[in-house]
Amino acid sequence: MRRRAPWFVMVVVIAASLFVAAVGDRSPRSEADRVDAVSSEVRCPTCRGQSVRESNAPAAQAIRGEIARRVRAGEDDGTIRSYLVSRYGEKVLLNPPRSGVGALVWALPVAAVVVALAAVATALRRWRGASSGVVPSVSDRALVAAARSVKDEP
Amino acid sequence: MNAALGTAGVVLGTAASVLGAITMVVGLRGRRPSLLRLGRSYAWLVLGGALLATFAMQSALIGHDFSLAYVARNGSRSTPVFYTIASMWGALEGSIILWVLVLSCYLVAVVRRFRHRLDDPLVGWALMVMFVVSAFFFLLILGPANPFTVVSGAVPLDGPGPNPLLQNHILMAIHPPFLYLGYVGFTVPFAFAIAALVTGRLGEGWLGATRRWTLLAWGCLTIGIVLGSWWSYEVLGWGGYWAWDPVENASFLPWLTGTAFLHSVIIQERRGMLRVWNLSLVMATFSLTILGTFLTRSGVLDSVHSFTESPIGPWLLSFFALVVVVSVGLIGWRGDRLRSPGSIDSPLSREGIFLANNVAFAAFAFVVLLGTVFPLVYESLRGEQISVGAPYFNRMTMPVGMTLLFLMAVAPVLPWRKASGELLRTRLLWPAVAGTAGMALPVLFGARGTAPVVAFGLASFAAAAALRQIVLAARVLRRERRPVLGALVGRANGGMVVHLGVIVLAVAFAASSSYTSSSQFRLDEGQSASVSGHEVTYLGMNEPRVTRQKTVRSARVRVDGDQVYEPALNQFPNATQTIPTPSVRSRLIDDVYLVLVAPPAEKGGSALIKVIVGPLVMWLWVGGAIMAAGSVLAAWPTSRRRFEPTPASEPVGAPSTRSESDDTLPDTLPDTLVAP
Repeated sequence: MRRRAPWFVMVVVIAASLFVAAVGDRSPRSEADRVDAVSSEVRCPTCRGQSVRESNAPAAQAIRGEIARRVRAGEDDGTIRSYLVSRYGEKVLLNPPRSGVGALVWALPVAAVVVALAAVATALRRWRGASSGVVPSVSDRALVAAARSVKDEP
Repeated sequence: MNAALGTAGVVLGTAASVLGAITMVVGLRGRRPSLLRLGRSYAWLVLGGALLATFAMQSALIGHDFSLAYVARNGSRSTPVFYTIASMWGALEGSIILWVLVLSCYLVAVVRRFRHRLDDPLVGWALMVMFVVSAFFFLLILGPANPFTVVSGAVPLDGPGPNPLLQNHILMAIHPPFLYLGYVGFTVPFAFAIAALVTGRLGEGWLGATRRWTLLAWGCLTIGIVLGSWWSYEVLGWGGYWAWDPVENASFLPWLTGTAFLHSVIIQERRGMLRVWNLSLVMATFSLTILGTFLTRSGVLDSVHSFTESPIGPWLLSFFALVVVVSVGLIGWRGDRLRSPGSIDSPLSREGIFLANNVAFAAFAFVVLLGTVFPLVYESLRGEQISVGAPYFNRMTMPVGMTLLFLMAVAPVLPWRKASGELLRTRLLWPAVAGTAGMALPVLFGARGTAPVVAFGLASFAAAAALRQIVLAARVLRRERRPVLGALVGRANGGMVVHLGVIVLAVAFAASSSYTSSSQFRLDEGQSASVSGHEVTYLGMNEPRVTRQKTVRSARVRVDGDQVYEPALNQFPNATQTIPTPSVRSRLIDDVYLVLVAPPAEKGGSALIKVIVGPLVMWLWVGGAIMAAGSVLAAWPTSRRRFEPTPASEPVGAPSTRSESDDTLPDTLPDTLVAP
């Protein structure tokens, strides 16, 4: 029991830290936070792959201004995104679509990991089955015990 | 003159590569060692051709020989010599010259290293593969990507110079050569893997022959990638260092599979297992370098680095297909000999964790590859363009990254074969304490958000596990009265140093991507603004500096009432866009990154300045440097006899006297040493 005590303490400390870290993160979002959140997922149309939050290009600044105006007007994030898509096309969103063919890009990696883990688990089971055929005999155990007793003597 | 010289070099290189490959095949089929030994001469001839081509290109660039189309497009009289030299790899055609130069250096290094084994069929086949690869790239220069074509019509008097982004920072000259040393270096293990398959010598011989070569390529690729992100941070002015840009992904993909290989190869050496998997990883790494070159150089993907659209695409894609077909075909053909004799007894063992590591790295590579090519697939299926950007990659790779940090903590303490819970509890106690502290302390000091806090905890956990290994190795050395610094040398110990570098990098990445704050201010002269506890004061503009190369307008900005920094805007004579040059105050705790977004409209007016405060950014570069140092240490030759019995000091048969290779150090220690 005493040997496990440090582990219990650690589990408690970790749980407490995670709780504080997660709860502290959920403070109500300010308008500026929302502008940042939306604009970091919108592609700057004149740059290569940068978001309008990061880019200094005039087009990016303009879109950021538009997002800020709509956030102040009380539109929710989804409405702002669909406005931008209607104006600039699906390409303006840095996150690929979550429906239709686009959903594949989200689902395939998860499926691949599941398949890979299943394959590894099957292989492990097969290997174990193969190796468990050899059960140590009484004389094997005696040999090991003898070897151990030699080692333990100084 | 330069065109003729360069073309002569390319023809020489092509001929030597083709003849070298043919000679190897004839020598191997007819079992004629004298022919096989000719490989050395052909390798030197290939290097001669590459050097001649490089010399001709440099002479044309430095001598402003605008009769060459490449120089007319990428050179200019106003570009400083340093950037003129570097502009050889600033555009597609020239960069292929660098590719063949690096490849022929590797070729010569291989014939030097294996000079006593040149009549060994394994080496012969490996050389044959390298000759074929080099012939392909020389043909690329002769055919679709010829840098020595001459301009049609009148020779221009001056050129536009390299892309403005490429003549802005010294790193641009260093980063591509390192990247190529890494990219091209994976040709060597690939060649030996093919040779092993062809000769049927699929034991561990080819692995031993290529271990250091893989490590060298991997280390150079690591340095190349880190320098690339540093360049992007210092030059591009958006305050970030990794954008999941297709070019970055293309360099990252072989790094991921190469890293997986460096780990899983240990299972094969120790247990003779995973032969097919290791071969596949080597093949995948090499073919990903070709695929990456195709994706980024053919112009199919929209990216900062694909400067030109060129007819090179179909060539590279065909070569990629050839590599894949040959690799898969050979593995299928040798399938019967690849059945591994060993087995893994327990998932809770060193080999079990390496297996998990490989699943994680494969998943990582899969996500990056899928995300990079998915827009192409989608467009061809639906006829509509979509983006797969940083938010996707960050979300998908974060769980994998966390898993890898966790595995990095557990793997070093696990013994081979099987571990008991008791043993794990003992060995992991102090790393776990460190991990808990690494999670709790940042929270106490105000860090919030689950992802970064978990990352800090796992990183501390892994760091403590790596340090524990180094300390244990040092203790053994001290007991044996050998230099304690040896605890940093050798594959296992050097590997731990690399781990520490990765951990430093991971912490810096987690902190800077979660806690960076950025604001933009319009400031009058003398006016101040404050971001995350830092005060910046705009003092005014400098007089514009006009040189032949560019016009620089810079602002003077005082940070924290201390030093003055000068973010600038560059106007190049032949470019319409202005290129910002950010100015960064780097400290151990955080970076203050200043960008001049817009200079004042009239003299003495207000300037638009962006201030980005990124915590721990400097540690990204420190972590990269530690990783580079670690790979050198891991490749450092260690004495094979280190663990041989020393009868005077050790009881016979004690665990620490087993003679083993150096990566088994932790297991050879009795647990009494380990327990606190």
